[in-house]
Amino acid sequence: MSMALFSSSPPPPTTLSALSLKHRLSFRTQLALFPRKAPSLLLPRSTDNGAGVVSSTATVAEEEEEKDKLEEKKEETPPPAAAEKDVESKQQSLLGSNGAAARAEEVLPPKFKDTRWVGGTWDLKRFQKDGKTDWDAVVDAEVRRRKWLEENPEASSNDEPVIFDTSIIPWWSWVKRFHLPEAELLNGRAAMIGFFMAYFVDSLTGVGLVDQMGNFFCKTLLFIAVAGVLLIRKNEDIDTLKKLLDETTFYDRQWQATWQEDKSSSDSKAK
Amino acid sequence: MASLSTTTSTAAGESLRSFAGLRRETRILRGVAAADAPGSQLRRRQLGVVRASRTSPRLNGRKLRVAVVGGGPAGGSAAEALAKGGVETMLIERKLDNCKPCGGAIPLCMVEEFGLPLDLIDRRVTKMKMISPSNVAVDIGRTLGPDEYIGMVRREVLDAYLRERAAEAGASVINGLFLRLEQPEGPGGPYRIHYNEFSPAGGGAGERRTAEVDAVVGADGANSRVAKSIGAGEYEYAIAFQERVRIPETKMEYYKERAEMYVGDDVSPDFYGWVFPKCDHVAVGTGTVTHKADIKKFQAATRLRAKDKIEGGTIIRVEAHPIPEHPRPRRVLGRVALVGDAAGYVTKCSGEGIYFAAKSGRMCAEAIVEGSENGSRMIDEGDLRKYLEKFDKMYWPTYKVLDVLQKLFYRSNAAREAFVEMCADEYVQKMTFDSYLYKKVVPGNPLDDIKLAVNTIGSLVRATALRREMEKLTL
Repeated sequence: MSMALFSSSPPPPTTLSALSLKHRLSFRTQLALFPRKAPSLLLPRSTDNGAGVVSSTATVAEEEEEKDKLEEKKEETPPPAAAEKDVESKQQSLLGSNGAAARAEEVLPPKFKDTRWVGGTWDLKRFQKDGKTDWDAVVDAEVRRRKWLEENPEASSNDEPVIFDTSIIPWWSWVKRFHLPEAELLNGRAAMIGFFMAYFVDSLTGVGLVDQMGNFFCKTLLFIAVAGVLLIRKNEDIDTLKKLLDETTFYDRQWQATWQEDKSSSDSKAK
Repeated sequence: MASLSTTTSTAAGESLRSFAGLRRETRILRGVAAADAPGSQLRRRQLGVVRASRTSPRLNGRKLRVAVVGGGPAGGSAAEALAKGGVETMLIERKLDNCKPCGGAIPLCMVEEFGLPLDLIDRRVTKMKMISPSNVAVDIGRTLGPDEYIGMVRREVLDAYLRERAAEAGASVINGLFLRLEQPEGPGGPYRIHYNEFSPAGGGAGERRTAEVDAVVGADGANSRVAKSIGAGEYEYAIAFQERVRIPETKMEYYKERAEMYVGDDVSPDFYGWVFPKCDHVAVGTGTVTHKADIKKFQAATRLRAKDKIEGGTIIRVEAHPIPEHPRPRRVLGRVALVGDAAGYVTKCSGEGIYFAAKSGRMCAEAIVEGSENGSRMIDEGDLRKYLEKFDKMYWPTYKVLDVLQKLFYRSNAAREAFVEMCADEYVQKMTFDSYLYKKVVPGNPLDDIKLAVNTIGSLVRATALRREMEKLTL
């Protein structure tokens, strides 16, 4: 029943479905087959800042049980609203509600849900591929979770504390996925620069590659080239590095300020 | 009191006129050759060594008079140390029942060093929960001993206690509002301070009064008027916004010994949101330096993150206050010194200020007592700079380490995730608490330090890698 829902997502086409198509379809079917957890209370956000609730996301991730959910929402929000209105007094404001939120029509932001997210961490048994854990999928899932929470911050819960630690993903998986592609890129750049510099110097001075390496000046240039490739990967990096250098000594200078004037010879501040 | 001082000061002033050109003119040389003065001053500048002014004139028939402006932890401890040292002290505080908006956390060393009675402490926090932007929650405090805790106090209680101790030691506590001070006419002359004294019955603007004192200790907090009087310069400050919430008893049980720290861009772009337990309610707040206009938004986000735990609570008070981010450019001028928040002694990263306020107040007072030989001699700027030197030397490592931590871990959500992940490590917890509770940056076992460095880099690299993937994603 549920598999069909993903292909027939209601407009606007949710990016979640787009994501599902981008990534492996295999675990999508798993999602559809496993029963959803009991729907959690969709609590109203405290809306002091008037931040608009993203109306489209209300449909995201709740597609399967959309019909059921709406009914539950209407049941759940009136009782808390009534209780809150009772307690609210003239002078004090009550947390978790304001006039607007009490209304049941307000679209509530959904909580993060994923069937593989069990007990506040990723259940590695659900990431099996060919008998081994598919670490890339774990990384993808965690990235999605963090992105979701960044855009829809959630209350931290004591009943289901998040205990996931990225160090459970083994180091070689990180290297394979993140370090190697970048290393390839940087090595490529270094090789290109190196080849053309060697050719250029050779054509100008006639000194071959082996003799170039023996020269101290060339070795210095080589060092600068390697450092440059490592540190400066985008144009903005030059500014970033300058700012970083400033930053490291800024605090020290603020503390030294009172001693600076002690050493200065101006008597304009005489008593 | 005032008349006696004027005669002696004019006599002193006349003999010093020949040295009016020098910046630090209050050293009166009686037997010593005048030629020594410029040379020794130059030497002093070069070496940065500050000597006690043994050659300062003796005060005839009276004690040194010092006004301490501001009766918080800094002012209270300064006044007490001064009075104990035999100096005639007046402590001017504008609101004796001031309920200062404050986190209210004091380290263990403060209880010991200042001999605070244990009933001053409302709660002993032994567990802290750090919560990352993606709600990864880590409990720190496993390494604490049975006698170790972070004390939560009510500022009105602590401040009143310290002022009372100062009064018992001999300081006169005046309920008044400091207005301005006049620089002395000549070297060695008195400072004239103007203040409004409020009658005990209260009400009204108070009576205008002036007093002549030999030195002033500015302990009047982040918006210090004493600092303005000496042109101490401005500092960057954070706005800390806090709501006191009374939550149901069942929920209060969770916070019985636990404080929470929420990090994330939603809660604060450069600081953290907190839930700190107080006597019978919790304080939920957040702060920021760079985005002060959005503070209400950040507060709403903090409440959202703590929603489950504070639901059903009522807000009983809303308060806000500036917190200095770094010391003022000038902390001492002539015989006026700044201490506490007025000087800007609040740490980065944790925003802790009570202990440093009290300690700097005490150190400044001790320097005055020593320089004046228990109130019998006039002091000069050199004595006050001794206090600065001592304070800077003792606590600079602490401030610097916290600055580095702030720069490293409060940069971005990725860094904050790494930060919370690191907090799960026992070694980190032990180092953090040791340095917080005892205010000593203790270098641990080098092997463990290397392991820690490797783990930190690992965490940061992983978090940054995830962050880059997050940027590619659109949900």
